[in-house]
Amino acid sequence: MVEVGDMLVGYATDEDIRSRGASGGLVTAVLAAALEKGLVENVVVMKHINEFEAVPIITDDVKEVLASIGSLHSVPVNLAKYAVGRKVAMPAKPCDAQAVIEQAKRGMIDLDNTYIVGLNCGGSMHPVTTKKMLVEMYDIDPEDVVGEDIKKGKLVFKTKNGEEKALRIDELEEAGFGRRESCRFCTLKIPLNADLACGNWGVIGDLSGSATFCQVMNGKGVKLLENAIKAGRIEVQPASDKAIAIREKVNNVMVDLGNTLEKKILPVIPDEERLQYYIDQLADCVNCGACKEVCPVCACGEDSKCTTFHSLVDNYKMSMYHMVRMLHLADSCISCGQCSDVCPSDIPITLLKSRFAIPSQRKRNYHPGIDLDTPPFFEVMLK
Amino acid sequence: MKEMIYQTVCPGCNMGCGLYIRENEDGKLAVDFMKSSSANLGKLCRFGMKLPYHYSKSVSMVDGKKASVEYAVKIASDRLSGEDVCVNVNVALLGVGNTTNEESLAFNKIADRMGTIVNTGMGVYSELPTECHPTVGVGVTLNDIENVNRIALFVDPYIQYPLLVRRILAARKNGAYVVSVGLRDLHLADENRYIDPDLYESELGLDSGSVIITELHPNTDTGWVRRMLNLALRTQAKILFMKPFVNAAGVDLLCKGAGQKGIPEIMDGINEGNIKTLVVLDSDPIELMPDSDAAAAILKKLDNLIVITSRDSPVNRIADVVIATEPQYAKAGSFMNVEGRLLNNVHVYGDNNLPSGTAGIDALSTLNQYLGGEAMDYQTLHNKVLESIVRKYTKPKYKELACQVLDIGPVEGQKGNLIYLYNPFMWFDQPDDNDFVLVNMNMVKKLGLRKGGMIALGSDVGTVNIRYRVENMPDGLILSARKLPVATGWITMVSTEAVL
Repeated sequence: MVEVGDMLVGYATDEDIRSRGASGGLVTAVLAAALEKGLVENVVVMKHINEFEAVPIITDDVKEVLASIGSLHSVPVNLAKYAVGRKVAMPAKPCDAQAVIEQAKRGMIDLDNTYIVGLNCGGSMHPVTTKKMLVEMYDIDPEDVVGEDIKKGKLVFKTKNGEEKALRIDELEEAGFGRRESCRFCTLKIPLNADLACGNWGVIGDLSGSATFCQVMNGKGVKLLENAIKAGRIEVQPASDKAIAIREKVNNVMVDLGNTLEKKILPVIPDEERLQYYIDQLADCVNCGACKEVCPVCACGEDSKCTTFHSLVDNYKMSMYHMVRMLHLADSCISCGQCSDVCPSDIPITLLKSRFAIPSQRKRNYHPGIDLDTPPFFEVMLK
Repeated sequence: MKEMIYQTVCPGCNMGCGLYIRENEDGKLAVDFMKSSSANLGKLCRFGMKLPYHYSKSVSMVDGKKASVEYAVKIASDRLSGEDVCVNVNVALLGVGNTTNEESLAFNKIADRMGTIVNTGMGVYSELPTECHPTVGVGVTLNDIENVNRIALFVDPYIQYPLLVRRILAARKNGAYVVSVGLRDLHLADENRYIDPDLYESELGLDSGSVIITELHPNTDTGWVRRMLNLALRTQAKILFMKPFVNAAGVDLLCKGAGQKGIPEIMDGINEGNIKTLVVLDSDPIELMPDSDAAAAILKKLDNLIVITSRDSPVNRIADVVIATEPQYAKAGSFMNVEGRLLNNVHVYGDNNLPSGTAGIDALSTLNQYLGGEAMDYQTLHNKVLESIVRKYTKPKYKELACQVLDIGPVEGQKGNLIYLYNPFMWFDQPDDNDFVLVNMNMVKKLGLRKGGMIALGSDVGTVNIRYRVENMPDGLILSARKLPVATGWITMVSTEAVL
């Protein structure tokens, strides 16, 4: 009998899934069970292309769910928009879950039909930067990589010949590699906003490396787990006090680091320099619109204020498109980094938007994408 | 049917931007980002973001009526075997590089069979010594741009090749000095110069650690290309010729350089009655020529216009035969980008019964067989491509070239030079919201243009009223990023006045 608030350790009963999975295959098994037992119609998973590339697919085939096993720190995709309009289950980093909830607040996703299996996330990396890092820092041919993991502050790569090489993440980041900038100052590392919060933090002893720590966050989380247990896909046991404490400790370290890095990555800009800073940063925009298209919390569609108020013929010193977007996303931006990832001019758009959003959200004690109870603060202000 | 996902390359230019095309159960297309693509890291320009509008499926036609592919191919072969067709005299084949290497190679085999060549539309190649071709064909790598000490920029990356912007900005961050020698001030340049071409060598400060970024397209003046090559030779700077077609580098290597005709030359040949039959492979002269109406009128003079194409475009509507192939993203095959990198299309996800992506190859193979040639299959063609077209940038090995540049003429009174800033939307005649021209403040004052108002442009072929945006640029220029019905060429002298 699973209950809300339970903290469990579990794994897939199928030996193959358990051994291939990053942490005992529990997440994969839960998703597969949700599909095969009709809890959902589809599952959103990442189809692996190689260690540095995967593409989101929406599938009703259990085999495809099972084939999606494995961690993908070098594939920084946000899955929220793939869930729109479907009865799905999906794995989710904390920022995926945040985006799903922000979409739900705007009526684009029905949370009752969306099952979110959250995954702890210390951060993700850009695939091309990762390949360069492998060559320059690890002396590993990217083609030889067969797996990767994060252990005790180190980024570990496994190669075809069975070797493992680990380097400290802070050293990698000092050298310009490692996690994406937005991940470095993120402070939501355990997806407590998902239905299940899963990860390997707190998995200790004999189960280390072959099981998943799982916190049940709500009724849908109960359904997901009970469904998987009933289907014979997983086995779970209560987590020990020690395991819970270790998980908490790891999380605290990560959150503290995020808070420290926020000050470094987003230093205060003096008022008198602020306007020119934004003008300069946005001057190289090529008006592709990719930042809007990829934004997982944008629910406007094609007819939106940012595009309607903007015209290429205008001579404004700063893009009206970006100004509207900064304002519009002040309550919902989750600093996921997708917009910076796809910007063809390498404008650090996530940082620019975060400079607006983070202070606005803090001032109103608003945490985007955490729950459905708090409406977007613009909605409250307009009422 | 399941959603299908294709890994492909953006057809907007030859940067080689990787991306995914998602085709849902209803056939609706969407673009998705391929962040592991080394050319673009998943980033796309405004053309790439609008690709679903670009991929309009073609339909096989014979004499204006829908037909099966098989019938269209049969009729095409009948027309090409007709008594009036003299391959060495009045037939031209055109393939600019909007399709895969494998289809281009198959098209070349048909040309061989017919005793002629495939024209890539870049007439410059036939006017340059062959030892220049490698330098023009494949440029420095995109990563190399980020590590030079100086960049001389002869294109407007914001409008023409937007994925260059980040490379140039990265170079600046790494200490490079960027000089733009263009038609308007560019924010990313340290210096914007409008100087006499004779002073390039003495004024631009280029050396072996520098790179020249310029472009080559069907309407490029040969004299300009020679001038750029001379500049690279004298300064020992590396050079990169950006090109507007996804596989321009590939087709250059696959086609026979000698005797190449440019698209303007082919159009002249048709207009004068010397070319009676034109076969095009994913190349639409109506889109590619500056004056679309004039181009369509000339093409109507042909006895036979045979179009082999993956998309619906204006030339299909006046063609005698249209042989429809699968969309470019769904083709099996490869493309070569501007840095000489071979990029493959891949079916990433979908039904087990995915189409093979060889409908184009199969049609070309059948046509070749009707013409008395051999059958061709994808794998053999692909292997041949892998053997024959790998090439990297080589330092200039040619000698000084004589050149006479088509300079922009002086303007008097209320005249102006309308210049096309060719970009992917223009090459494909795709709608975009760039419905304005760029002028400088002196022109605004001289004509008394009102804020938010329009400028009237006139030429021998028509007039147009259009909005304008003010830019820092030399006097007498009017720049356009979309085709206008007053243009007769890359540069058109136009009259100007305010619309009251």
